Amino acid sequence: MIIITLHREHCIGCNYCMEVAPSYFDMDEEDGKSILLHSEEKSGFHSHKTHDDSAFDECNYAAESCPVDIISVREN
Amino acid sequence: MNISTVELMAPAGNFESLQAAIQNGADSVYFGVEQLNMRARASINFTIDDLEEISERCKKHHVRTYLTLNTIIYNHDLKLVKKLLDAAKGAELTAVIAMDQAVIAYAREIGMEVHISTQINITNIETVKFYAMFADTMVLSRELSLRQVKRICRQIEEEQITGPSGKLVEIEIFGHGALCMAVSGKCYLSLHAHNSSANRGACKQNCRKPYTLIDQESGFEVEVDNEYMMSPKDLCTIDFLDQVIDTGIKVLKIEGRGRAPEYVATVIKCYRKAIDACTNSSYTPEKVDQWMSELEKVYNRGFWDGYYLGRKLGEWSEGTGSQAKQKKVYIGKGIHYYSNIGIGHFKVEAFDINIGDQILVTGPTTGVQRFKLNEMMVDDIEVTTAQKGDDCTIPVDFKVRPSDKLYKLVEV
Repeated sequence: MIIITLHREHCIGCNYCMEVAPSYFDMDEEDGKSILLHSEEKSGFHSHKTHDDSAFDECNYAAESCPVDIISVREN
Repeated sequence: MNISTVELMAPAGNFESLQAAIQNGADSVYFGVEQLNMRARASINFTIDDLEEISERCKKHHVRTYLTLNTIIYNHDLKLVKKLLDAAKGAELTAVIAMDQAVIAYAREIGMEVHISTQINITNIETVKFYAMFADTMVLSRELSLRQVKRICRQIEEEQITGPSGKLVEIEIFGHGALCMAVSGKCYLSLHAHNSSANRGACKQNCRKPYTLIDQESGFEVEVDNEYMMSPKDLCTIDFLDQVIDTGIKVLKIEGRGRAPEYVATVIKCYRKAIDACTNSSYTPEKVDQWMSELEKVYNRGFWDGYYLGRKLGEWSEGTGSQAKQKKVYIGKGIHYYSNIGIGHFKVEAFDINIGDQILVTGPTTGVQRFKLNEMMVDDIEVTTAQKGDDCTIPVDFKVRPSDKLYKLVEV
């Protein structure tokens, strides 16, 4: 399983995650910050779990692109 | 010389710096909230909920308040922009410092005063006329000379260029603090190298590192002044402030929302004295020397006069980070203040402090307080040294709070 996590409190709304991983990220037009689609929130951390292997590369690219390092991707 | 008082504008990255600015004589403060400001990366930024308190604290001291909302704005930011501007208006802030037309347009729509950010890069009188449709104050490009600034100020008077308030447009320029190699901060370097956009407040400052320049064709290293080929020294105008004021500017801005509260305290204190000295004709080289030695104690990359005096470029910093002659060492935190006897209680958590040390106390409400340690007690006994773990009491003439931090200042 692949677990993607977004700590969105520190998002600066640069839009890169959505550009490189549009299946997983979008921009919230209410507060201008990134949202991790289909995620669950716990203590400010938003997580999405998937069995789709293609998520790993796509979301890793988003994590590498994030200027404030708030995206993490791990395999379980 | 036509000397009139100019407004001294201080940076406030947090409540400590805000308080330091107020305590040391700033006429106005500027600050960002949430992510839409040029210091979005900073770990501590004000939030929208802080606006009321900022406004209240400043109003009490007749200090004007400016919200910086001057990043690139995308579609997904538009609701937040409106929310921030509505909150700024609701909190009765003085004005918004804007770059994007969406910000300018909405601010005008709700009757909020607009100041044009240096990010717009205003360099001529026709552009001033254009933005006068929306703004009462404009920050000129940092790259102009004083001669050019003076001409623009004179033309505003001659041509009676007024802003929405009906008053003559006021010109603001940078007086002190970091400069960067990019024209008006419009830089692509951080984005290019680290995917981290300076124009979204996330500058990685990679220009501040040392580099060597190699001609790949020949393999030879190109000779440049020093390795810090992209890192200019900090702007300092205190030694020609009379000429700066003589241009006719109305606002002098101090850079440094990312710098420490004691930096704000020292720089604002020096420029307050310098502006007042220019105004009452007591500006002397001896005073300038004193202020310079104070300014050198806090964070700086070395000083130069920027582009104002029309000198050739090439004033590059001589190292990474600060050339400050003083640094602060964390000692401990505030516990309590016995107001009836004027005694502060502190917990020593790190290094020793000794009688004779220069002490710095900072806090969100306390601001910045500095004093020489002349006496202290540990367990009700007078001592010359307090060590890690000690509870010490020190006579102080300000209120000590649990949110305060205690430092000692040491020469570098």
